[in-house]
Amino acid sequence: MALSNTKAKADRSKKARPKATPSRIQSNIESNQAIVNQAIVANTIIHVAETEELTAADLPTGEISVPLNLWLAEKDAIKARNAKIAVQIGVDEEPEDLVNDLADVDMIVLPFVSHVDGQSYSHSYKLRTRFGFKGEIRAIGDVKFDQLGFLTRVGCNAFELPETENLETALRAFQEFSEVYQPSADSGVSIFSRRRAVH
Amino acid sequence: MYQYDSVDKTIVKERVAQFRDQVNRHLNGELTAADLQPLRLRNGLYMQIHAHMLRVSIPYGLINSTQMRTLAHIARKYDKGYGHFTTRQNIQYNWPELADVPDILDELADVEMHAIQTSGNCIRNISSDQYAGVAKDEIIDPRPYCEIIRQWSTLHPEFYWLPRKFKIAVTGATEDRAAVQFHDIGLEVVHNNANDIGFRVYVGGGLGRTPVIGKVIKEFLPREDILSYCDAILRVYNLHGRRDNKYKARIKILVNAMGIDRFREEVDAEWQFQKDGDLKLHDTDFDTMAAFFPPPAYEDLSDGDERIAKWRNLDSRFNAWYDNNTVEHKQAGYRIVNISLKEHAVAPGDITDDQMDAVAEIAEQYSFGEVRSTHEQNLVLADVRQSDLLEVWKALDAQNLATANIGSVNDMICCPGLDFCSLANASSISIAKQINEKFTDFDELYDIGEVKLKMSGCMNACGHHHVGHIGVLGVDKKGEEWYQLTVGGDASNNAELGARLGPAIAKDKVGDAVSDILHVYREQREDEERLLDTFRRVGVDPFKERVYAETN
Ligand code: SF4
Repeated sequence: MALSNTKAKADRSKKARPKATPSRIQSNIESNQAIVNQAIVANTIIHVAETEELTAADLPTGEISVPLNLWLAEKDAIKARNAKIAVQIGVDEEPEDLVNDLADVDMIVLPFVSHVDGQSYSHSYKLRTRFGFKGEIRAIGDVKFDQLGFLTRVGCNAFELPETENLETALRAFQEFSEVYQPSADSGVSIFSRRRAVH
Repeated sequence: MYQYDSVDKTIVKERVAQFRDQVNRHLNGELTAADLQPLRLRNGLYMQIHAHMLRVSIPYGLINSTQMRTLAHIARKYDKGYGHFTTRQNIQYNWPELADVPDILDELADVEMHAIQTSGNCIRNISSDQYAGVAKDEIIDPRPYCEIIRQWSTLHPEFYWLPRKFKIAVTGATEDRAAVQFHDIGLEVVHNNANDIGFRVYVGGGLGRTPVIGKVIKEFLPREDILSYCDAILRVYNLHGRRDNKYKARIKILVNAMGIDRFREEVDAEWQFQKDGDLKLHDTDFDTMAAFFPPPAYEDLSDGDERIAKWRNLDSRFNAWYDNNTVEHKQAGYRIVNISLKEHAVAPGDITDDQMDAVAEIAEQYSFGEVRSTHEQNLVLADVRQSDLLEVWKALDAQNLATANIGSVNDMICCPGLDFCSLANASSISIAKQINEKFTDFDELYDIGEVKLKMSGCMNACGHHHVGHIGVLGVDKKGEEWYQLTVGGDASNNAELGARLGPAIAKDKVGDAVSDILHVYREQREDEERLLDTFRRVGVDPFKERVYAETN
C-alpha cells in the first residue's frame, strides 16, 4: 500500500505489525489518580508497555490496559482474565483494527509519547463519531492541563497526567471555552448551523 | 467587513483569558518554558534573537481604521513605535514583553482582532487577494469564503497539533494575487458550466526548503462542501503526514510521496463519511456571510475626471505615483491606491505608529474606513474617489508613504532575516538597502518596470524568494553571509519556480548582480516585455554570463 512509503503502518492483512516502536510508550505507566468525567478519582490501572516478547501470560494482575497488538493476538486469553478490557491504540496504529471488537472493549487508551503529536485526536474523533464507541477513552502519557480541553472535544473523557501536574488546577481546563465554531465528537453542530437556526 | 457576533467575541475573549492563565502559570513556575512554547506559538508569540515577537492576525488582510489605530497604539505602548507587515498579510511586533502580551491581546480583542494560530503547527491565517471586492478582473468575491474557513479553522480541536504548519489561500479573480498554487490548500472560486459557484482545489503547494507547485485535487468542488472537504484533507494529513523529520512534514511531501491520485482517493474516502453531515453549508450561510461584505456606498461617478490629467501634467511626482501606485477599480470614478511600505532606507513592510494613525485617518476620510494589507508587504486603500487622489497623495506623501515604487525592483518582499530571526543565515534588510541604493533614479526604475524581487534570509523562504522574478536567498558559507540568486520565478497563475543563476554571491556584490540582471534585460527586451517575459524567451544564460563575468 502506497502509504507505507510515508510512514510505518499496521498492515491489517498480514498482521505484521511493528512492536515497541518509539511512537508507543516505552515502559508501563501507572498513576495514582486520574481525571474521569471531569472529576479526580483514585486509579489503579497499569498501562502495559509493548515489548517484542510480551504475551498474555506476562500481564500483571489487577486492572490493566494492553497494547493493540497483544489484544489482536491473544484476545481470548485477555478476555479470560474476567476483568475490564482496556486496549491501547498508539499514534502509529489505527482504530480501524479494533472496530470489530468494540463490543468487547470497555476502555480505549490513547498513549501520548509527545503531546505535540496530534494523531490520537483523529483516532478519538473517529472512534466516537464513526465507530460509535461509547466506552471510556482515556489519554495518558504526555498529557497536561493545556491539552485537556481539545482532547475532551474530540471525545476523550478520561486523563492520566504526569506526576508533576496538579490535577485540581488542571480541572480549570474544562471551563476555558463556553463557545466553539466547529462540530467535533462533543457537539455535532457547527456555528453555521446554529446561526441558521436563529435566522 | 465581517463583524463579530457574541460567539466570536466570547471565543476571542476566552482565548485571551486562557493565555493569560498560561502566562501566569509560567511566571509562577507551574508551566515550564518548554511546555509554554507551543502554546505561546499558537498565540502568535515567538522567541527571537533579541526579544519576543508577536504576530497579530489580519484575516485575509482586512483592517478598519479603528483596528489600525489600535495597532498604532500597541506599537507605541508596548513596542518601539513601529510594526512590520508580513508576507502573510499579518503584522508583527518585535519587542513586546511576555508579561504584557495578555494585555495586548485584550486590547486587540476589544477591536475584534487576535493572534490565534499565527504560528505553530496548526491552520494559519487565511490569506487572499488584497483587491478582493474591487478588482476589475474579479469573478467572485472571495472574502465571505475566507471568513467561513477562518471560523471553521479557528481553535479546531482535531487539527491543532498537525505535523507542520498549514496555510490556506483563496482567490476569486482572473489574475491570482494570492499565490494559491503555493499553499497547502489553494482555493480558486469559480463557476462551473451550470453557473454554480464552487472551488478549484489545489493541494500540496508551498515554498520553504522544497518548493512545490500545488496540484489540482478537485476541478470543481461545490461551495457547500468546502468545509467537509477541507476537513477530509486535514484528517488524512493529520493521520499520515510525516512527523519524524520537520523538513519532510508539510503536506506537499505527503502528496508527492503518495502521488496526487492516491492522495485524492484517500481524501475522497474520508470525505464520504461526512460529506452530508453538519459541515455541509447552505445557501443562506453564504448569503449571511456575503452581507458582511457589501459594496460600499459608492457615488454615481464616471471615469475620466479632467482634473487628474491636469494634476498629472503639473506634478511629475504625483504623475509617477498615479502610474505606479494606483490601480483600476471596477467602479467608475474610483481607483485603488497602494500605500508603499518600501520607503528608501526603511526595512520593507515596516510602519511607524504615527504612520499607522495617519493611514487610519486617510482611510476614514477617503476610503470608507478600510485598509488592506498585502502579501507584498504594502497597504491598500481600496475605494478612493478619483477626484480625491491629489488630496490622498498629499496626505500620504506627508507621511513618506507615497514612494512611487509599487511593482518596481525597489518594492521588494523581504523577511526579517538576521536582524531579528533566530533561524536566519544572512541579513536581508541590509541587502534591501543595498539594492535600493543602486536604484535611486526613478526614471530608470520606471523604465525597468515590473520586477518582483523577493528575499529570504534562509531556506525557510518566508520572503518567497523561489517565486521572485528575481529571488535572493541568504546562505551561510563558513560563517559568512552569502546570497544565492534565482531568476524567473512567478507566483501568479503561470506558477513557476525561479532558476538558479549560479554560485552564491558575496554580500557586497548582491546589488551589482541585481543591476547586471536588469542591464541584460534592458538590452534584450522586445516590445513591451517585462523582465519575466524576456527571461522566458532568452533563458538564464545571458543573465548568468553577465553576473559572473567579472569573477571568471
Ligand atoms: S526566511 Fe528564514 S531568516 Fe527569513 S524570516 Fe523566515 S526563517 Fe527567518
